[in-house]
Amino acid sequence: MESYQQLPPTTRHDGLAYRSNDDQSAHSNHHQHAMIVARSRQPSFPVKAADESGETLSRDNCDRRRPEENGDSSRLPNVSQQFMGQTVTPFLREHIPGLYAPIGKPDLPSMISLKNKDPNSKFCYRHRPDSKCRRAADESKMALIQSELESLPCGDRQAITNVWSLFSAAPTKHRELMLQGIITQCCFPQLSIVSREVHEQLKIDFLSTLPTELSLKILCYLDCSSLCKAAQVSRRWNTLSGDDVVWHRMCEQHIGRKCEKCHWGLPRLEKKRLKEWKIQHQADLQNSRRAMVPSLATSVNGHGSLASSAAKRGAETLDDHARPKRQCIQSAATSSQPPTTSQQELEKKFRPWKDVYRDRFKVGSNWKYGRATMKTFAGQHTNGVTCLQFDDNILATGSYDSTIKLWDIETSEVIRTLHGHTMGIRALQFDDRMLVSGSLDSTVKIWNWRTGACINTLNHQGGVITVHMDGDLLASGSMDRSIKIFNFKTQQTYSLRGHQDWVNHVRLDVSSRTLLSASDDCTVKLWDLDSQTCIKTYEGHVGQVQQVLPLPDDYEFEDENTRDADAVSVASNRSGTPGLCASSSLPTPQPDEERAAYGPAFQLDSERPLPPRYMLTGSLDATMRLWDTATGKTPRCFFGHVEGLWAIAVDSLRFVSGSNDATVKIWEPRTGRCERTFTGHAGPVTAVGLSDSRVASGGEDGEVRLYSFEANPSECEQYGTPS
Amino acid sequence: MSENNGPIMVTLQSNDMQQIQVEKAIVERSMLIKNMLDDLGDGVIGQTIPIPNVTEPVLRKVIEWCEHHRGDPPSTNEDESDNRKKTTDIEEWDQKFMQVDQEMLFEIILASNYLDIKPLLDVGCKTVANMIKGKSPEEIRKTFNITNDFTAEEEEQIRRENEWAEDR
Repeated sequence: MESYQQLPPTTRHDGLAYRSNDDQSAHSNHHQHAMIVARSRQPSFPVKAADESGETLSRDNCDRRRPEENGDSSRLPNVSQQFMGQTVTPFLREHIPGLYAPIGKPDLPSMISLKNKDPNSKFCYRHRPDSKCRRAADESKMALIQSELESLPCGDRQAITNVWSLFSAAPTKHRELMLQGIITQCCFPQLSIVSREVHEQLKIDFLSTLPTELSLKILCYLDCSSLCKAAQVSRRWNTLSGDDVVWHRMCEQHIGRKCEKCHWGLPRLEKKRLKEWKIQHQADLQNSRRAMVPSLATSVNGHGSLASSAAKRGAETLDDHARPKRQCIQSAATSSQPPTTSQQELEKKFRPWKDVYRDRFKVGSNWKYGRATMKTFAGQHTNGVTCLQFDDNILATGSYDSTIKLWDIETSEVIRTLHGHTMGIRALQFDDRMLVSGSLDSTVKIWNWRTGACINTLNHQGGVITVHMDGDLLASGSMDRSIKIFNFKTQQTYSLRGHQDWVNHVRLDVSSRTLLSASDDCTVKLWDLDSQTCIKTYEGHVGQVQQVLPLPDDYEFEDENTRDADAVSVASNRSGTPGLCASSSLPTPQPDEERAAYGPAFQLDSERPLPPRYMLTGSLDATMRLWDTATGKTPRCFFGHVEGLWAIAVDSLRFVSGSNDATVKIWEPRTGRCERTFTGHAGPVTAVGLSDSRVASGGEDGEVRLYSFEANPSECEQYGTPS
Repeated sequence: MSENNGPIMVTLQSNDMQQIQVEKAIVERSMLIKNMLDDLGDGVIGQTIPIPNVTEPVLRKVIEWCEHHRGDPPSTNEDESDNRKKTTDIEEWDQKFMQVDQEMLFEIILASNYLDIKPLLDVGCKTVANMIKGKSPEEIRKTFNITNDFTAEEEEQIRRENEWAEDR
């Protein structure tokens, strides 16, 4: 205090920096101003006593009032000391308990009014002690303040601290008033300080401060990479950004299809794993239904009915969609309710969706970079492999050597050989129940592949080149130019005739009751199984058509020219089939022309599901073609093989082709670009197989090569050549 | 409801007791208010509607948005479920509108959530998402003034746990 008095006012204001203004003038001004605010209801407050001295207007100060008050600054400490006791103390006494001890001192008048009011109207949320969003002290800033303060005379420190404590104790309304008073007296340089400080400090940890559901909503707008960056920000961010709600959505967006936004698709879960999951989930749901609130049970039931009403054809895909929904319900329940024991147990059983996504992501990038592990199945067939199929554990191969072999994928060993055909095998298909095979000996055989027993034999007039079973139906195509349909249930058979040459490939579509067939007569035909007539013939290939496959319902042809019209393409491609997504519970009406394109049978029966909208064909003319089955047009032709195609395979994410040129190519379905070319067979590739994470090829060299894209990148080798 | 004598006006009262007159058609972008008006009928038109959770500056900002978007078609629930259409693209006007300080952005998000104005809430959340997108953890911390509360070992472990996302 003495030092303050010893310093003449002029010396204090001679400095260049406005810091001196800050320190010194703020001292006198703020000091008094704060008191004015604090005592605003007392008009007798002697502020203007200072005015009388009125001197020294010459200095380069920019504060309107300071000059008037400089003269009496020496008096100030005394005055303020007097007033401190009268003003600061009661102010602090009145307001501080309200801020920090809301229930501690109920006798104070301010507390009574507080209790009758919404706390929000009294304090801004950031100053409620219980609020999570109080700002942490900035260490360096606090140190700066400390050192600045220590450089000041004692009286100034006291005075400045009083200003701060008044402000600190003040309720929101008073604080705002104080701030307005202070800001109106600031000069531009000072406002600039305010602006900088505000910019620096007005930062809010949105995710930690907002209600959790809003934080998750924000995170749901982020991409995978940003989410993983967000996970590294802080503990709270780590928890939020790893939430099942967020990653479930990511999974939904990317797994099994290409994301509209980023064009990045991830493989589906293997069917078997999917099944295991489903069983687990259903068991868990049974438990949870018992344990949890009724609202949860009803939503689960609601979904169940939706699932059961969906068409059978979509069952496989539907599993994939049903699962997330259930999980979602589950996780929503856990996040919104205090966890009970049963919920915690449930949580343990589910893998976090982030982990699911990560695993799929790894597989996705392995595909992209051709990182795989490869197994060869060789040395057993004595002639070329003509057909193959695999699931998680078993590979089935058919050969010109008239045998079918079942291999353990894990050990690469043959676990069973099916003997019985007398000539080369050209086609096979197996499921849980049985295996069907077509042979050049003009028969179709049905096997119990677990025991090796032949259950049934069906006859054609010529060699059988293709078989396909779906539901109750078994279709076969033959060198005798006919297609036979066998019904397992009724045991009845009928033929479809119309092709001019060998029928190389058939594909049933049970939901629309149609069949696609590819023939050596260079055409593809679409058949109506109800009337047993040909609906359409597709001409365009200049070589024998070896393969025809319907594309998945969610395939969306994307023409570069119509890229902007993607809003239209979102709807499912088929009208009669209830959509696979929950969103399409109201089926979008398709234009009548599309229905009419498939003829009167579909036009008259508006309930009948339409045939697959797109199909892919492979031909010995060395091209693969994409067809619109409604218009008969081929919007895309895939060039790249130098010899004819014997085999193709498709899923939502990629097309695979095997050719006489001894290569296997992987194609991007949307753009039609060839992504990678695999070599290795010592002869034509005559069979290919595809799953989410594996691709297999069989060749005339009698070998099968199975590439698996599941392993960690470090365990993989690079295969194939990117295009 | 007759609309013959000019637009029907509604009076809102903010948290800080300020009264704001707004056209009914505009304020009905808020589903909270719309439902309330629907439930209570015309009788309530002349009365003041308290909005206790929103301060005046924020309320004015929200009304500004509602005014600009008064002609927008009502939002459907469909786009909610169609994940593929969810993007962080924000139309130009909304982008400008959202060029506010973080506190105001924060309050707009809370207010639109409370008032149940879904499109505005979406824009607010997207704006925050865009502030996060493409930033390194340290840049995110700087943007939102977040303290890194991981230990060095934890930080390294979490970094390793998340590096798979870069392999693309």
